[in-house]
Amino acid sequence: MISFLLIILASLFFMGLVVRTKSIASGRKGPGVFQPMKDIIRLWKKGSVYSKTTSFIFQIAPTAYFTSVIMAILMIPHGNNPGLISFDGDFVFFAYVLTFGKFLMIISALDTGSSFEGMGASREALFSMLVEPAFFILMGSFALLTGHTSFHSIFSMLHYGSNISYMLGVLASIVFVLIAMIENSRMPVDDPKTHLELTMIHEVMILDNSGFDLGLIMFTTHLKFAMYGAMISNFFIGMLPLEISIPLFFVIQAGFAITVGLIESFMARFRMGHNPQFIFILTSVSLLIFFGVLLVLGKFM
Amino acid sequence: MICGFDMDTSQVIKLTAIVFMAGVFGLLTVSDKYKSMITIIVVLVNAIITTVPALLAITQNTQTGVLSMPHLLGNIGTKVDSLSAWFILIINFTSINGVLYGSGYLKAYTHLKVNRELHWIFYTLFHISMVWVCMFENGLAFLISWELMSLSSLMLVIFEYQKKETLKAGLNYMVQMHLSVVFLTLGIIWLFLNTGSFNFSSLAELPQNNHSLWIFIALFVGFAIKAGFIPFHTWLPKAHPAAPSHVSGVMSGVIVKLGIYGMIRTITYLRYDWLIIGEVILSLSVITSVYGIANAAVIKDFKAMLAFCTIENIGIIGIGIGLGLIGMGNGNPVLVLIGFSAALLHTLNHSLFKSLLFFGAGSVYQQTHTRNMEQLGGLIKKMPITAIFFLIGAMAIGGLPPFNGFVSEYLIYFGLFKGLNPISGISQVVLIVLSIAGLAIVGGISLLTFTKSFGVIFLGQSRAEFHHEPNEVSFIMQLPQYLIVVAMMSVALIPQFYLSTTSKVILALFPLNTSLNTSEFSQMSGNIATIGLVSLSFIGLMLLMFGIRWVILRKREKVEYETWGCGYVAPVGKAQYTGSSFTRSFGHLLSFLVKERRTFSRIAKPELYPENRTFSTTYNDILEKYVIAPLTKRTVFVLNYFQFIQNGRIQSYVLYGLFFVILVFIGSALNLIK
Repeated sequence: MISFLLIILASLFFMGLVVRTKSIASGRKGPGVFQPMKDIIRLWKKGSVYSKTTSFIFQIAPTAYFTSVIMAILMIPHGNNPGLISFDGDFVFFAYVLTFGKFLMIISALDTGSSFEGMGASREALFSMLVEPAFFILMGSFALLTGHTSFHSIFSMLHYGSNISYMLGVLASIVFVLIAMIENSRMPVDDPKTHLELTMIHEVMILDNSGFDLGLIMFTTHLKFAMYGAMISNFFIGMLPLEISIPLFFVIQAGFAITVGLIESFMARFRMGHNPQFIFILTSVSLLIFFGVLLVLGKFM
Repeated sequence: MICGFDMDTSQVIKLTAIVFMAGVFGLLTVSDKYKSMITIIVVLVNAIITTVPALLAITQNTQTGVLSMPHLLGNIGTKVDSLSAWFILIINFTSINGVLYGSGYLKAYTHLKVNRELHWIFYTLFHISMVWVCMFENGLAFLISWELMSLSSLMLVIFEYQKKETLKAGLNYMVQMHLSVVFLTLGIIWLFLNTGSFNFSSLAELPQNNHSLWIFIALFVGFAIKAGFIPFHTWLPKAHPAAPSHVSGVMSGVIVKLGIYGMIRTITYLRYDWLIIGEVILSLSVITSVYGIANAAVIKDFKAMLAFCTIENIGIIGIGIGLGLIGMGNGNPVLVLIGFSAALLHTLNHSLFKSLLFFGAGSVYQQTHTRNMEQLGGLIKKMPITAIFFLIGAMAIGGLPPFNGFVSEYLIYFGLFKGLNPISGISQVVLIVLSIAGLAIVGGISLLTFTKSFGVIFLGQSRAEFHHEPNEVSFIMQLPQYLIVVAMMSVALIPQFYLSTTSKVILALFPLNTSLNTSEFSQMSGNIATIGLVSLSFIGLMLLMFGIRWVILRKREKVEYETWGCGYVAPVGKAQYTGSSFTRSFGHLLSFLVKERRTFSRIAKPELYPENRTFSTTYNDILEKYVIAPLTKRTVFVLNYFQFIQNGRIQSYVLYGLFFVILVFIGSALNLIK
């Protein structure tokens, strides 16, 4: 329960920090930290416009997407405190429940019958397919390392004995930062601020959403960021008591947000055709982690 | 519960044969209107007759019986053990759904009276022969019913034999099924030479040497052709689109699973060092899965897409089997239990959602008369119920919670992660991690495939004009889909019931009881029960959210407008994103697996006013194009030299007979033939 509350709290200011970092990096003062959240609340109060082509799929998809992310967040532990839902192999459920939301978002983009939105949908499907093996290899490596198969027991059993296990934690954080960037369609894979439909991924999928639904989708993006931030923080929290781990959690979330802001400020978006290559880096880093685990366990003997 | 009640299974076989005969008689005598009714009754009666021993076998103990055929095969052992029972129950459920759907589906073919009559006769034979396959102990009787099953399904596939391509697909199917029979016969004869018995159980008497390996390989190849492991899969994407949809549904749901049945049956008896075989099957299955789903992603014919997707799912079942075998090789009973349970559960799950999807595809085909998804679109408004069923099937087959596909995929992942730990060698760890990655990729591609299929077929606007407006199909065609969805949700929400049944099956087959660590087992069933609960709470949470959204938006303003088109307000259906464009970048990325072929003519330079031209892209099954087809071509080339034998002159045929008689005479005179 505690991690659920923490993630919701973090999601309120996360995107604000990203935006603030970007504006400072580009020499502007920038909006306040809670501005993105205020925008969302305004959207929640509005009416909506629906395309005539759409069916009920378009209306249920944003809510189902939101629910799937909430469900995923419920499974994330906070150090020694398990998430509300915790069982062996829960990360399989985690990955597949996120896919459930993605499935509905993709078909809701196709539901509009637009010539652009399918393009974004196709890219979203392709990139998330490429991310999937990285996540599973990573979790497989940690399952191998700790001998456990649930988020909670993996994270609480991660003991940083040797130098190489610190390395693994850092590499895993890199993987999760990249997964978060790709899953949320941020730079360098996708530029959420672009104004050309042909070059967008996630933004083009939701071109036709408006009002409450749009606000929900945007809030879900924030939640997803905070969720991956929480995951990263778990690599470092370990068995720390709550009075240290909670501030540490927020420090890591803030650090993650600033990193995202800096990446977005100083990197250009890749050409669409180069994105798959970039995403394959993820899988190779996860394989590195896997071989690192094999080293730690002395399986190369 | 009926206690201590046993059934003589040979009586069951006799009874079903009598019901079948009566059915044939009925079908030949009644008028065209009542034929489908008679078929439904026959299939139902046969299903009830065979379900009883199956239930007895699962809840109590193995049912046996001896069928005596004094002049043919002698005394044939028949039995229904828990493994047969599991498959018999799946066969019965799917066949009943198939006949219900088919009775509505074939109504459109009133002009093909003879075809329909034949079709119904062979459907009843098809159903009962599949059940017999699971009941015979004796290898020869098994082969006979196997052959009956193949031939009757062939007759079902070529329902529209007036069409040339249907006949061609049928021929392809027939040849490949007979290749399968050749390998099976080889294996069984080999078994007979070694042990003097045709019974499958005598596989256990074989010494553990290379003989048993070769017998296993022969049987495995035979069963793999039926199941559709690569490179033996090429019949599936041809036969499924050609067959009427209820037949595709039953074939894909059940007949390929009998290949899996055969494999597990063989494995239970044979003794060998399973580790290496398990590793081979695991690798083969992962490759099969990836290959199947990659082809499914790009193909335009939606029934061929489902056929390729069947190949993928066979791969997933195979991963379970491979995992179980690795467990046997390593002496890890929990892994055996998880692996085979996952395989059996996925067999059930796949038979459910694949027949659901094929029925949905059939309804679309019946209303639009096209199998090319690029011409469809917007059907969700005209056929909402079919669309919802297809959506449920699509999500379930992608293994998404809260549907049943997730339960078996979870079990396989769980098994793979469990398999990682106690292993000492590095090769197995790497193999298993690569399998995990492969399975994850398969999940990702299946997301791509099914969002594309559902989106292009049912969503957006129509891309082409049809002769008549598509409408929702009749209730009799929807009914089996309701039944299937209920069954699917029962697997998804109370998986512990199904898991305890499969583990009962596995424990009866493999002697694990002594070494099974009960705490690990109860932990696993606890996990599975948790999944049911979590899925239920996911559904509950979603309903709650929908409710909240409804309350908030109840009084809000709602405007309907055109889809955003960069300011352009007259969108046409053809300008929508198509299925091929949806998967184009994927196809480009995996161009070594799915090769795109473009047909077009270039614009020549001096051509100032270019004429109309066409451009089309297709994807080829590379294994078929570059491996199977050249191989058959070579074989045909060699066989051409023997064509002189079949010269069409009756005189020479009489001469051949004479030669043969003389040969036999000389042979017996010289005591060469006994």
